[in-house]
Amino acid sequence: MMKMWQRSLVATCAFLVLFGGVAYAQTSEAPSVEFSYTGNRTAVWIVAQLHTLFGAFILGAPIFIVISEWLGYRKQDLRYDRLAKELTKVTVILFSMTALTGGLFIFVLLAAYPQFTTWFINQFYLVFAVIYPLMFISGTIVLYMYFYMWDAWKGEKKGRHIALGVLLNLICMATMFVINGPTSFMNTPPKTEGISPQDFLVAATLWDKIANQTWMPLNLHRIDGNVAFGGFVTGMIAAYMYMRAKTQEERAYYDWMGFVGNLIGVGAMLFQPITGLLLAYEMCDYDFSFCPYMMADQLSMFFEMQGAMVGLMFLASNYYVWLSLKRIEGIEKVRMTILAPIVMVAFPFVMMVVMNYYWIPEPMSLAFLLPLALAPFLFGRFIPITVSALTVIKIGFLMVIVGDAIWVTPHGFAATGAKMVAELEMPEAWSFLGGMPAKLSAIFTLVFVTVVNYVVYNRAIRQGTIIWGKIDFTAQFVLIFLAFTSIWTMGLMGAVRSLVRKYFHTYNLMPDFSAESFTPTLSYSAWWITGITVVFFTVVSFAVIVALRPSDSKGRVAEGSPVPARAK
Amino acid sequence: MWNVIKKLSIGLVVGGALVGLARALDFPFVFQMMFFGQALFGAAVFMLLDAPSLKTMSGMKSGAAIVVFYIVLCTVCIAGASMWPQFDPEDEKGKIAKILAPKRAATEQGKAEELIARTKALDEQVKALEVRLKALGGDQQMAKEGPVSGAPPVVAKAATGDFMKIGEEQWQLHECYNCHKLKGEGGKKRGPELDNIGSYLTAVEIKQKIFYPKSYMAEGFEKEWEKGKMPDKFKDVMEDSDATALATWLSTFKNTSVNTPKPIKKT
Repeated sequence: MMKMWQRSLVATCAFLVLFGGVAYAQTSEAPSVEFSYTGNRTAVWIVAQLHTLFGAFILGAPIFIVISEWLGYRKQDLRYDRLAKELTKVTVILFSMTALTGGLFIFVLLAAYPQFTTWFINQFYLVFAVIYPLMFISGTIVLYMYFYMWDAWKGEKKGRHIALGVLLNLICMATMFVINGPTSFMNTPPKTEGISPQDFLVAATLWDKIANQTWMPLNLHRIDGNVAFGGFVTGMIAAYMYMRAKTQEERAYYDWMGFVGNLIGVGAMLFQPITGLLLAYEMCDYDFSFCPYMMADQLSMFFEMQGAMVGLMFLASNYYVWLSLKRIEGIEKVRMTILAPIVMVAFPFVMMVVMNYYWIPEPMSLAFLLPLALAPFLFGRFIPITVSALTVIKIGFLMVIVGDAIWVTPHGFAATGAKMVAELEMPEAWSFLGGMPAKLSAIFTLVFVTVVNYVVYNRAIRQGTIIWGKIDFTAQFVLIFLAFTSIWTMGLMGAVRSLVRKYFHTYNLMPDFSAESFTPTLSYSAWWITGITVVFFTVVSFAVIVALRPSDSKGRVAEGSPVPARAK
Repeated sequence: MWNVIKKLSIGLVVGGALVGLARALDFPFVFQMMFFGQALFGAAVFMLLDAPSLKTMSGMKSGAAIVVFYIVLCTVCIAGASMWPQFDPEDEKGKIAKILAPKRAATEQGKAEELIARTKALDEQVKALEVRLKALGGDQQMAKEGPVSGAPPVVAKAATGDFMKIGEEQWQLHECYNCHKLKGEGGKKRGPELDNIGSYLTAVEIKQKIFYPKSYMAEGFEKEWEKGKMPDKFKDVMEDSDATALATWLSTFKNTSVNTPKPIKKT
């Protein structure tokens, strides 16, 4: 019954998008609908953001579902297989939600901005009318096959099942690449010197439009972001299930699942600043006026908020390590070279100086920074002085706080350069603290400290004995916190990417003449981002409750009983 | 408890020291408070590290704990975002309307709206004339005044002062101050300071630079010129007359005491 409902929903939405979009594309002068209370722009924002969030999960989760299944097969560890299957159950439900919100998105867009949407669909007719619906439908078919063949294709046929998972990932990845074309086109439509954007567009091919300047950076940022997002949502699911668990065996399993989800989430999160900077770099390279608009003017406080949120996420991911270490027997014996804390403390300041002399993309900066970052790992063994793992991590916490303090220190407490006055501005001699080299040093300090902490963590796991199911209960809230803040930050940065087009639907090509064509306040945006995040969480929580009922695990072989970690 | 007192004391001492240092270095009050807040936040983090373990919850209790936790998270996110300075959209709305006005006028809808507005204005003029004619006594007076033209009164070409005002307005509308310093305001060294640009370039040449940024390169800004940092969008987003006004206004800046870099003709 359930699967029929889901199949019908997905198919209906796909066909509605296909035929509705195509039919509407033929009517150019349709009047727009006025959405009361939210206004048209916010109405589009809500459904677009929800669609992106569900889409991010269903594209990110299969990547590590199949890796997890493969690890389970290779290590003959049932926990990995169970993790993969449970997540697939949730993914199946969220696939339907992605289709539903996708259909809703196109209809709200058509209703709110009929002329723009008509123009937009005509620009990407083949993508919206054929490629995207077909890819979505084929992705759905493969996902259902993958899910329903799980028990049939086991044992010797497991390889076949894993291959199906790989195929699912390829389709999901290609779907994302395809839809990122129109998304990035709205920010950076193709152009060339000396020709007006309108004239260039007339001659541009579909490929020119898709492969615009920020397409690949957006692809990379979203692949990485989706994996991080999937990891953190897995952590959240594990936290829910840990709290619902009735037996010690169940707790042990969901403790382990939270550990794996967090590890994947943090691993991918470490690359987020790098791919995010690449995207911002390409945007600024396309049109430099994006840069001050984002960093120094109307959107500057959005980036302050981003700094605060990312800082909290790094603190939380390190706090999870801290709580996790407390249940490892023998942690007091784990030590690390003294170079690690020394480099941690020196890192932000050295990087700030180096970046002031050799700004990106000067490769000379790497000549200073790479040896510094690698010093604890390359030269640590030659230095006899060591410190305890817990001390290293405590110093790491201090540097995460310092790094985040540098990140959130603004050039001045005014939302726009035009309103900056001396009483709100940093003294001239210290204004470098508000500059990009300082911000970059702060970001990389957070990344470096977290890498060192996870190296310590890994060493502790290998040298000590981890007791699954005995983690401090606070860790479950940390996992939920990480999922919430990562989704919230994703919503915030999604808003920035969209707002950077200023008063255009498509930058420099299609002006937005509506009354809502302005930069909203950060506070207004925060209310909606929070609301959207809450709706997403409610749906995911419902999906978890429906898909992972406790009865599912009855009669299951006890997994994750206390074992020495090194045995795995 | 001892953990909390100890960490809080350290936080207060570090915060106090930071405030003292920031005051000595002439940081404004708002920065001093921020540094103090960061010290206390750091103390809170270290309190959390050494806090006792939380007892395992289950059933309704854990469900309620999750709901409360979400409420706290939502409050923190909204309150946190609302505490930062807020950009006032009203500052931007007028600007955007002015920038988009010519584009809007060029659309079918814009043309229709303009036609309706002109018809309404004409209608009101006719009504006003009728009232005047009635008051003056009909046809004889009408003959004295001559035929009434349907066209709106001819507006004299904007005086030089108005033209300069338009130029200055364009500077604000297109936020040129984000990259260029002028009259001691704006800039942040992204682009050259322009107080003496009139000594080097004529209005026509400045307009050429605005429309074709690669046409001139400021000395010392070779990297920026190579990377094409000045956007080449202005010929598409600005009206020709507005660009002329901006260029003319800029060409009046001949303050030789300011070191405006010399522009070099490139193409």
